[in-house]
Amino acid sequence: MNEGDVLPPVERTITQDGIAKYAAASGDFNPIHVDEAFAADSQFGGTIAHGMLVAAALSEVMSAAFGLDWLDSGRLKLRFRAPVFPGDTITAYGVVKSVGEGEGTGEVVSSVGVRRQTGEDAITGEASVRVRR
Amino acid sequence: MTADFAALSVGLEVSNRSLVLDTALVAGYVDAVGDRSGIFDPGAGRPAVPPMAVAALSLRGVLDDLGIPEGTVHAGQELEFSGVVHVGDALTCKATVAQNSVRRGSRFVGLRLSVEAGGGREIMSGKSRLVMPA
Repeated sequence: MNEGDVLPPVERTITQDGIAKYAAASGDFNPIHVDEAFAADSQFGGTIAHGMLVAAALSEVMSAAFGLDWLDSGRLKLRFRAPVFPGDTITAYGVVKSVGEGEGTGEVVSSVGVRRQTGEDAITGEASVRVRR
Repeated sequence: MTADFAALSVGLEVSNRSLVLDTALVAGYVDAVGDRSGIFDPGAGRPAVPPMAVAALSLRGVLDDLGIPEGTVHAGQELEFSGVVHVGDALTCKATVAQNSVRRGSRFVGLRLSVEAGGGREIMSGKSRLVMPA
Protein backbone atom coordinates (compact mmCIF):
# COMPACT_ATOMS: atom_id res chain seq x y z
CA MET A 1 0.00 0.00 0.00
CA ASN A 2 1.47 3.33 -1.10
CA GLU A 3 0.51 6.99 -1.02
CA GLY A 4 -1.88 7.72 -3.89
CA ASP A 5 -3.19 4.17 -4.15
CA VAL A 6 -6.90 4.02 -4.97
CA LEU A 7 -8.94 1.60 -2.86
CA PRO A 8 -11.41 -0.59 -4.81
CA PRO A 9 -14.69 1.38 -4.84
CA VAL A 10 -18.11 0.07 -3.84
CA GLU A 11 -21.14 1.09 -5.89
CA ARG A 12 -24.80 0.56 -5.08
CA THR A 13 -28.21 1.96 -5.89
CA ILE A 14 -30.30 3.29 -3.04
CA THR A 15 -33.98 2.37 -3.10
CA GLN A 16 -36.93 3.24 -0.87
CA ASP A 17 -37.28 -0.46 -0.16
CA GLY A 18 -33.65 -0.56 0.98
CA ILE A 19 -34.23 2.49 3.18
CA ALA A 20 -37.26 0.76 4.74
CA LYS A 21 -35.16 -2.36 5.39
CA TYR A 22 -32.46 -0.25 7.03
CA ALA A 23 -35.07 1.50 9.19
CA ALA A 24 -36.29 -1.90 10.38
CA ALA A 25 -32.74 -3.16 11.02
CA SER A 26 -31.53 -0.03 12.81
CA GLY A 27 -34.75 1.00 14.53
CA ASP A 28 -34.44 4.47 13.00
CA PHE A 29 -37.91 5.31 11.68
CA ASN A 30 -37.32 9.06 11.43
CA PRO A 31 -40.07 10.15 8.99
CA ILE A 32 -37.52 12.02 6.87
CA HIS A 33 -36.45 8.54 5.76
CA VAL A 34 -39.67 6.56 5.63
CA ASP A 35 -42.68 8.91 5.41
CA GLU A 36 -42.98 10.25 1.87
CA ALA A 37 -45.73 12.76 2.74
CA PHE A 38 -43.74 14.17 5.68
CA ALA A 39 -40.51 14.28 3.66
CA ALA A 40 -42.17 16.00 0.70
CA ASP A 41 -42.75 19.05 2.93
CA SER A 42 -39.19 19.02 4.30
CA GLN A 43 -36.15 20.95 3.09
CA PHE A 44 -35.23 17.90 0.97
CA GLY A 45 -38.54 17.59 -0.90
CA GLY A 46 -38.62 13.83 -0.45
CA THR A 47 -37.29 10.96 1.60
CA ILE A 48 -33.55 10.60 2.05
CA ALA A 49 -31.35 7.64 2.98
CA HIS A 50 -30.04 7.28 6.53
CA GLY A 51 -26.51 8.67 6.80
CA MET A 52 -25.32 5.43 8.36
CA LEU A 53 -26.83 3.40 5.50
CA VAL A 54 -24.77 5.43 3.03
CA ALA A 55 -21.69 5.28 5.26
CA ALA A 56 -21.95 1.48 5.38
CA ALA A 57 -20.66 1.39 1.79
CA LEU A 58 -17.58 3.24 2.96
CA SER A 59 -16.88 0.75 5.70
CA GLU A 60 -17.25 -1.99 3.08
CA VAL A 61 -14.48 -0.31 1.04
CA MET A 62 -12.24 -0.37 4.10
CA SER A 63 -13.17 -3.97 5.04
CA ALA A 64 -12.40 -5.16 1.52
CA ALA A 65 -9.05 -3.34 1.46
CA PHE A 66 -7.83 -4.07 4.99
CA GLY A 67 -9.78 -7.12 6.21
CA LEU A 68 -9.74 -7.78 9.94
CA ASP A 69 -7.26 -4.92 10.54
CA TRP A 70 -10.20 -2.59 9.82
CA LEU A 71 -12.30 -4.26 12.51
CA ASP A 72 -9.39 -4.19 14.98
CA SER A 73 -8.17 -0.64 14.55
CA GLY A 74 -10.29 1.32 12.07
CA ARG A 75 -11.08 4.97 12.58
CA LEU A 76 -13.60 7.01 10.59
CA LYS A 77 -14.30 10.70 10.73
CA LEU A 78 -17.17 11.60 8.41
CA ARG A 79 -19.14 14.64 7.47
CA PHE A 80 -22.56 14.15 5.89
CA ARG A 81 -22.61 16.89 3.25
CA ALA A 82 -25.56 16.19 0.99
CA PRO A 83 -28.61 13.95 1.07
CA VAL A 84 -28.86 10.71 -0.88
CA PHE A 85 -32.27 10.05 -2.43
CA PRO A 86 -34.02 6.84 -3.48
CA GLY A 87 -32.91 6.09 -7.03
CA ASP A 88 -29.42 7.52 -6.50
CA THR A 89 -26.41 5.41 -7.39
CA ILE A 90 -23.62 6.02 -4.93
CA THR A 91 -19.93 5.21 -5.14
CA ALA A 92 -17.88 4.87 -1.97
CA TYR A 93 -14.20 5.56 -2.57
CA GLY A 94 -10.87 5.94 -0.83
CA VAL A 95 -7.40 7.22 -1.73
CA VAL A 96 -4.36 6.52 0.44
CA LYS A 97 -2.89 9.76 1.85
CA SER A 98 -0.05 8.39 3.92
CA VAL A 99 1.52 5.14 5.04
CA GLY A 100 3.26 5.22 8.40
CA GLU A 101 6.24 3.17 9.41
CA GLY A 102 6.13 1.20 12.63
CA GLU A 103 7.43 -1.85 14.42
CA GLY A 104 5.22 -4.63 13.05
CA THR A 105 2.41 -2.27 12.12
CA GLY A 106 1.97 0.87 10.07
CA GLU A 107 -0.89 3.34 10.03
CA VAL A 108 -2.54 3.87 6.65
CA VAL A 109 -4.54 7.12 6.39
CA SER A 110 -6.96 7.57 3.50
CA SER A 111 -9.23 10.31 2.17
CA VAL A 112 -12.63 8.73 1.80
CA GLY A 113 -16.06 9.70 0.62
CA VAL A 114 -19.30 8.71 -0.99
CA ARG A 115 -20.28 10.37 -4.25
CA ARG A 116 -23.70 10.54 -5.88
CA GLN A 117 -24.11 9.85 -9.61
CA THR A 118 -24.33 13.63 -10.07
CA GLY A 119 -20.71 13.97 -8.93
CA GLU A 120 -21.77 15.59 -5.67
CA ASP A 121 -20.09 14.34 -2.51
CA ALA A 122 -22.69 13.05 -0.06
CA ILE A 123 -20.03 12.15 2.52
CA THR A 124 -16.41 13.21 2.87
CA GLY A 125 -13.91 12.30 5.52
CA GLU A 126 -10.85 10.43 6.60
CA ALA A 127 -10.24 6.82 7.54
CA SER A 128 -7.21 5.32 9.19
CA VAL A 129 -6.21 1.80 10.07
CA ARG A 130 -3.16 0.11 11.63
CA VAL A 131 -1.98 -2.54 9.22
CA ARG A 132 -0.02 -5.56 10.39
CA ARG A 133 3.04 -6.29 8.26
CA MET B 1 -41.64 9.57 23.59
CA THR B 2 -39.12 12.26 22.69
CA ALA B 3 -36.71 13.62 25.31
CA ASP B 4 -36.61 17.32 26.15
CA PHE B 5 -33.40 18.03 24.30
CA ALA B 6 -33.16 21.57 25.75
CA ALA B 7 -32.72 19.99 29.17
CA LEU B 8 -29.86 17.65 28.22
CA SER B 9 -26.66 18.90 29.82
CA VAL B 10 -23.17 18.08 28.59
CA GLY B 11 -21.86 14.99 30.35
CA LEU B 12 -25.29 13.50 31.01
CA GLU B 13 -25.54 9.77 30.28
CA VAL B 14 -28.65 9.38 28.13
CA SER B 15 -28.44 5.70 27.31
CA ASN B 16 -26.93 2.60 28.90
CA ARG B 17 -28.12 -0.67 27.47
CA SER B 18 -27.07 -4.28 27.15
CA LEU B 19 -27.20 -5.85 23.73
CA VAL B 20 -26.49 -9.31 22.37
CA LEU B 21 -25.92 -9.35 18.63
CA ASP B 22 -27.68 -12.47 17.40
CA THR B 23 -27.48 -13.92 13.90
CA ALA B 24 -30.91 -12.62 12.83
CA LEU B 25 -30.13 -9.05 13.93
CA VAL B 26 -26.80 -8.96 12.10
CA ALA B 27 -28.18 -10.75 9.02
CA GLY B 28 -30.98 -8.16 8.85
CA TYR B 29 -28.43 -5.37 8.95
CA VAL B 30 -26.17 -6.96 6.31
CA ASP B 31 -29.15 -7.50 4.01
CA ALA B 32 -30.39 -3.93 4.51
CA VAL B 33 -27.07 -2.28 3.63
CA GLY B 34 -26.18 -4.81 0.90
CA ASP B 35 -22.81 -5.56 2.50
CA ARG B 36 -20.80 -7.93 0.30
CA SER B 37 -17.51 -7.66 2.18
CA GLY B 38 -17.81 -11.24 3.43
CA ILE B 39 -16.95 -10.15 6.98
CA PHE B 40 -20.24 -11.67 8.17
CA ASP B 41 -20.29 -15.37 7.31
CA PRO B 42 -23.36 -17.02 8.85
CA GLY B 43 -21.80 -20.43 8.17
CA ALA B 44 -18.85 -19.71 10.46
CA GLY B 45 -18.87 -20.91 14.05
CA ARG B 46 -18.92 -17.43 15.54
CA PRO B 47 -19.35 -15.04 12.62
CA ALA B 48 -17.63 -11.67 12.80
CA VAL B 49 -19.92 -8.63 12.78
CA PRO B 50 -19.27 -5.78 10.32
CA PRO B 51 -18.10 -2.80 12.39
CA MET B 52 -20.77 -0.47 11.03
CA ALA B 53 -23.36 -3.02 12.17
CA VAL B 54 -21.99 -2.68 15.71
CA ALA B 55 -22.29 1.10 15.39
CA ALA B 56 -25.80 1.09 13.90
CA LEU B 57 -27.21 -1.59 16.19
CA SER B 58 -25.72 0.00 19.31
CA LEU B 59 -27.40 3.28 18.31
CA ARG B 60 -30.79 1.54 18.48
CA GLY B 61 -30.85 1.92 22.24
CA VAL B 62 -30.02 5.60 21.98
CA LEU B 63 -32.88 6.10 19.52
CA ASP B 64 -35.24 4.26 21.86
CA ASP B 65 -34.10 6.17 24.95
CA LEU B 66 -34.08 9.65 23.44
CA GLY B 67 -36.80 9.41 20.81
CA ILE B 68 -35.06 11.52 18.17
CA PRO B 69 -37.37 14.38 17.03
CA GLU B 70 -38.92 14.41 13.56
CA GLY B 71 -36.78 16.21 11.01
CA THR B 72 -33.48 15.44 12.76
CA VAL B 73 -30.52 15.19 10.37
CA HIS B 74 -27.33 13.22 11.00
CA ALA B 75 -24.58 15.77 10.31
CA GLY B 76 -21.42 13.91 11.22
CA GLN B 77 -20.04 10.70 12.62
CA GLU B 78 -16.75 9.65 14.15
CA LEU B 79 -16.06 6.01 14.93
CA GLU B 80 -13.10 4.10 16.30
CA PHE B 81 -13.12 0.30 16.24
CA SER B 82 -10.77 -1.54 18.56
CA GLY B 83 -11.66 -5.18 18.35
CA VAL B 84 -13.52 -7.77 16.34
CA VAL B 85 -17.09 -8.36 17.54
CA HIS B 86 -18.67 -11.78 16.99
CA VAL B 87 -22.26 -12.92 16.85
CA GLY B 88 -23.32 -13.82 20.38
CA ASP B 89 -21.09 -11.25 22.07
CA ALA B 90 -22.77 -9.37 24.92
CA LEU B 91 -22.19 -5.63 24.60
CA THR B 92 -22.86 -2.63 26.80
CA CYS B 93 -23.72 0.49 24.81
CA LYS B 94 -23.54 3.92 26.44
CA ALA B 95 -24.19 7.42 25.14
CA THR B 96 -23.44 10.72 26.86
CA VAL B 97 -24.14 14.27 25.77
CA ALA B 98 -20.98 15.91 24.38
CA GLN B 99 -22.54 19.05 22.92
CA ASN B 100 -25.92 20.81 23.10
CA SER B 101 -26.25 24.25 21.57
CA VAL B 102 -28.67 26.31 19.49
CA ARG B 103 -27.69 28.38 16.48
CA ARG B 104 -29.95 30.05 13.93
CA GLY B 105 -33.05 28.08 14.87
CA SER B 106 -31.37 24.68 14.93
CA ARG B 107 -30.19 22.59 17.85
CA PHE B 108 -26.79 20.90 17.50
CA VAL B 109 -26.43 17.81 19.67
CA GLY B 110 -23.27 15.75 19.99
CA LEU B 111 -23.47 12.29 21.54
CA ARG B 112 -20.38 10.42 22.65
CA LEU B 113 -20.78 6.68 22.15
CA SER B 114 -19.02 3.81 23.85
CA VAL B 115 -19.51 0.09 23.31
CA GLU B 116 -17.87 -2.37 25.69
CA ALA B 117 -17.55 -6.12 25.38
CA GLY B 118 -17.01 -8.53 28.27
CA GLY B 119 -14.71 -7.35 31.03
CA GLY B 120 -15.29 -3.69 30.23
CA ARG B 121 -13.05 -3.78 27.15
CA GLU B 122 -14.06 -0.90 24.85
CA ILE B 123 -14.47 -2.23 21.31
CA MET B 124 -16.00 0.86 19.74
CA SER B 125 -16.21 4.54 20.55
CA GLY B 126 -17.41 7.49 18.59
CA LYS B 127 -19.35 10.67 18.35
CA SER B 128 -22.59 11.42 16.50
CA ARG B 129 -23.52 14.96 15.53
CA LEU B 130 -27.23 15.62 15.07
CA VAL B 131 -29.03 18.75 13.90
CA MET B 132 -32.70 19.16 14.80
CA PRO B 133 -35.31 21.90 14.95
CA ALA B 134 -34.71 24.02 18.12
